Amino acid sequence: MQHSPIDPQTSKSQVREEAPAATDNVVELSGVRFSWHPALPPVVAIDSLRVARGERLLLRGPSGSGKSTLLSLLAGVLKAQSGSVRVLGRELGALAGATRDRFRADHIGVIFQMFNLIPYLSVRENVCLPCAFSSRRRERCEQSGASVREVAARLLDHLDMGGHEMSRRQVTELSVGQQQRVAAARSLMGSPELVLADEPTSSLDADRRAAFLELLFRECARERATLIFVSHDAALAPLFDRTLEFADLNRVAGSSPVTAIGSEAR
Amino acid sequence: MILPLAIKSVRNRRFTAGLTVLSIALSVALLLGVERIRQESRETFASSVSGTDLIVGARSSPVHLLLSSVFRIGNATNNVSWESYRRIAALPEVAWTIPLSLGDSHRGFHVLGTTQDYFDHYRFGRDRKLELAQGERFADANGTVLGAEVAAALGYRLGQQIVIAHGSGDVAFALHKDHPFRVVGILARTGTPVDRAIHVSLEGMDAVHAAESAEGGGDPLAAAMRNVMQREMQSIGRDDHDRDHDHGEHGASANEAQKRTITAFLVGLKSRGGALFFQRKVNESREEPLTAILPGATLLEVWDIVAGAEKTLIAISALVVVMGLAGMLIALLTSLSERRREMAVLRAVGARPWHVFALLLGEATFLTLLGIALGVAALYLGLDAGQPWLEQRLGLFVALRWPSVTEFGLMMLVAVSGVLIGLIPAYRIYRLSLADGMTIRI
Repeated sequence: MQHSPIDPQTSKSQVREEAPAATDNVVELSGVRFSWHPALPPVVAIDSLRVARGERLLLRGPSGSGKSTLLSLLAGVLKAQSGSVRVLGRELGALAGATRDRFRADHIGVIFQMFNLIPYLSVRENVCLPCAFSSRRRERCEQSGASVREVAARLLDHLDMGGHEMSRRQVTELSVGQQQRVAAARSLMGSPELVLADEPTSSLDADRRAAFLELLFRECARERATLIFVSHDAALAPLFDRTLEFADLNRVAGSSPVTAIGSEAR
Repeated sequence: MILPLAIKSVRNRRFTAGLTVLSIALSVALLLGVERIRQESRETFASSVSGTDLIVGARSSPVHLLLSSVFRIGNATNNVSWESYRRIAALPEVAWTIPLSLGDSHRGFHVLGTTQDYFDHYRFGRDRKLELAQGERFADANGTVLGAEVAAALGYRLGQQIVIAHGSGDVAFALHKDHPFRVVGILARTGTPVDRAIHVSLEGMDAVHAAESAEGGGDPLAAAMRNVMQREMQSIGRDDHDRDHDHGEHGASANEAQKRTITAFLVGLKSRGGALFFQRKVNESREEPLTAILPGATLLEVWDIVAGAEKTLIAISALVVVMGLAGMLIALLTSLSERRREMAVLRAVGARPWHVFALLLGEATFLTLLGIALGVAALYLGLDAGQPWLEQRLGLFVALRWPSVTEFGLMMLVAVSGVLIGLIPAYRIYRLSLADGMTIRI
């Protein structure tokens, strides 16, 4: 596993413009500034960040420090006011809104802390959802010689959620741990290059947390996906290829007004 | 992709969605029901006078004459003498006439004294003649031909004997028992007041009253009793009979027809173009103060009178629909806060903002269309179940036909309103999803 250290010296002009296949860095950030309102101080101010292909990166930091906002920038849901956000060699800031949405649908899987799933869909329907919005991910499933449903069943099976009955269950009937595994399976459908995980283990106890991470790592490795995992839990650090303290990376003072999905209860 | 999601989302909130659909369905059923009854009552009225060029009665307001003679609503203020009727019927412009003598009843149904001309010349709907479903026309003073609704409601069959009563109220105060009638024919259904009438010959009508007068005249005590009873009935407004024809005038004499009076008569002209001229001629007649009306023109006056009430009813029904749609808007808006997370998840897996917009709009459209469909179904079930009641109580025959252009227009209006109302929550969740992205800012 190749590690890419933080390079605070990397400037915007040094960012390479290679196509996705030609670079080892899945994520390249430089001089990124984002604030919710022009009058407010930035909640994200990152001079440089590189994440290599296949890397498992832990971004550790307290709640409200801007970690979730960074993930939204990486997913192309939010747009930085300045700087460069390159994912798989594509400059997200240069893409139109619809193109960014399509890019996210095609290349990025997301796991939230809680409320990951659509409550009125079954386990299988939730897992297959990305393929409904991305023909590329659907084609990738089919290229593996299996149907979308078969790929979903295989992923669920690998995450110990296999079985016909389980796949037809309503997600509201599942425990939190089971729901997180379904969310992991969904994020990996159609082999996205990048998986963004926003504190997905914070609702789990220590045993379940370790088991979930083990399953997630295994499946990311199998799908050759890069994992960026944000958490406030320092105990997770030894499990990752690399850990970054978000406070060191994000050069801003004060706290973000952002609350991650489902994190209001914290 | 969005439609199945919208349907599953609605199914997930089936209770509140069900209430929304129910309120839309009931309001649509009410709106279409009011419109249907409005149309049907107009059609029933228009159909009843379709083949008649003029109606002639004693001097009164045209609307009153039309309503009392053809629709049996209210009572004629005075009668027309037989001489005047014969004189006008003999005019060269006249093709046919139908005399109408009202005032008696049988178990709540009006008895109509007339002649064979009624069966030959009366037209309803689009130039349709009266047809007998069973039996034949009355040939003498003892026969009666029942309207379809009378036979159905009272369960009468051919050959049965009936006794008519004095006055036109539901409760009979004095029965003409001395001259029973035998049912000789039952008319096919027309969807007009004909269905609710008991038809006898003018001679039969004369005979009834002649028999009664004879009986009353022969027995001073009975005559005194009859007078007391008539005064009683007049004082409580039950007796319409004497305004239509006076028993003393009928008498038991052989020259009965000469003393006869009728309520009104329908006139068919040889040339419709001369109707206005003929109308003036009758109205200016010096022999007897008469009123001749053109039924179509007078019907327009009737619609003018009821137009205000119709508009009020439609406006109230429209307001009920607005309330139903407002209920949907409130239900959708209150669901938005909990659905922001759902939208964030959808956005994270690749849904575009317009997907989120379409999801809410699709839901509003789905609920509105389902509400309209159920409303139409409820209307038809209600009309099917309530048809006998409507016909019996209001004399309205509401056919189960396809919705009219106006009704389709109303449905389209409700559907478009539902979609437009759906734009509000759809736009709101669209803005929220753009602002929220993958995270929700509280």
